[in-house]
Amino acid sequence: MHELSIALEILDIVEKEARIHGASAVREVSLRVGDLSGVEVEPLTFSFDTVKKERELTRETVLEIDRVPVKIRCLPCGREYYNADHRVLCPQCQGFETQLLQGEELEIEEIEID
Amino acid sequence: MSSKIILERKVLSRNDLLAADLRELFKSRGVAVMNIVSSPGSGKTSLLEKSLGILSASMAIGVIEGDIKTSNDADRISSTGVPVHQIQTGGACHLEAEMVRRSLDHFKLDELDLLIIENVGNLVCPSAFDLGEGMRTALISTTEGDDKPLKYPAMFRSSDVLVINKVDLLPYTDFDMEKVIHNARSINPGIRVIETSCRTGEGIGDWCDFVLGFAQQN
Repeated sequence: MHELSIALEILDIVEKEARIHGASAVREVSLRVGDLSGVEVEPLTFSFDTVKKERELTRETVLEIDRVPVKIRCLPCGREYYNADHRVLCPQCQGFETQLLQGEELEIEEIEID
Repeated sequence: MSSKIILERKVLSRNDLLAADLRELFKSRGVAVMNIVSSPGSGKTSLLEKSLGILSASMAIGVIEGDIKTSNDADRISSTGVPVHQIQTGGACHLEAEMVRRSLDHFKLDELDLLIIENVGNLVCPSAFDLGEGMRTALISTTEGDDKPLKYPAMFRSSDVLVINKVDLLPYTDFDMEKVIHNARSINPGIRVIETSCRTGEGIGDWCDFVLGFAQQN
């Protein structure tokens, strides 16, 4: 819902870093997006590709998205499971005593600059 | 010749950053803040109408009302005697931290123990907008589907409490209380559940105890 705001923030961060390193352009941004992050990949990519053109350093930047699936650890079972949806129940014992190991990320891993 | 720079940097939206500032402000002034969210018509305003009289006897409360249009909800809150400010978004389907920040000019924060923000009726968008609150309460009612938590996971995942309202209508609907609680816990195992009826007053005592407990901790 707020993907445009997220896209702008990503551009602010990468533009600043690119300037610090004296880059002439940012080739690529690698972004980690968890399935529970609340960010939808399609509107984010659309927003990014639209607003990146307004800045010289990011005009051609490619947004590379690394999706992070939900992974939980069930405390009673002691095992780890990947969940395909937003539920954090243990698929084995249906228990609620689970720990979320990954899936909420929204992070820039790295950028590639010229 | 290109090179890679590792950042490992979390991305926060402008709203997130402003909300974090608000959170610090509220903390420094000792004000507990609650954000109440739900679909339109679940009973957010009714819950406040029913409980503010009791709650304001033991603490100083301020209310921010969020709606697209009209000050109807703020007028209803005014009848309880509690200071209230209405935000009319004109079109935005959710409140944002910036709107809350501007709204604070209408309150004397130092004199408040608790600030309640009643969000725009919407189970989708408000989930993505941190308002700097210390507690988020989601409301659903028994005339809605008991699969609501599964259909709107972001909202129920980001909420601390689930108030199930209109329990007096249970005999007239197919709403399954056990199912809705199971569904909510499967999205958010730690979510606290309170059952209420604004009509009969059932559960309002539990709700008030809960709110008092929250305000006293902060």
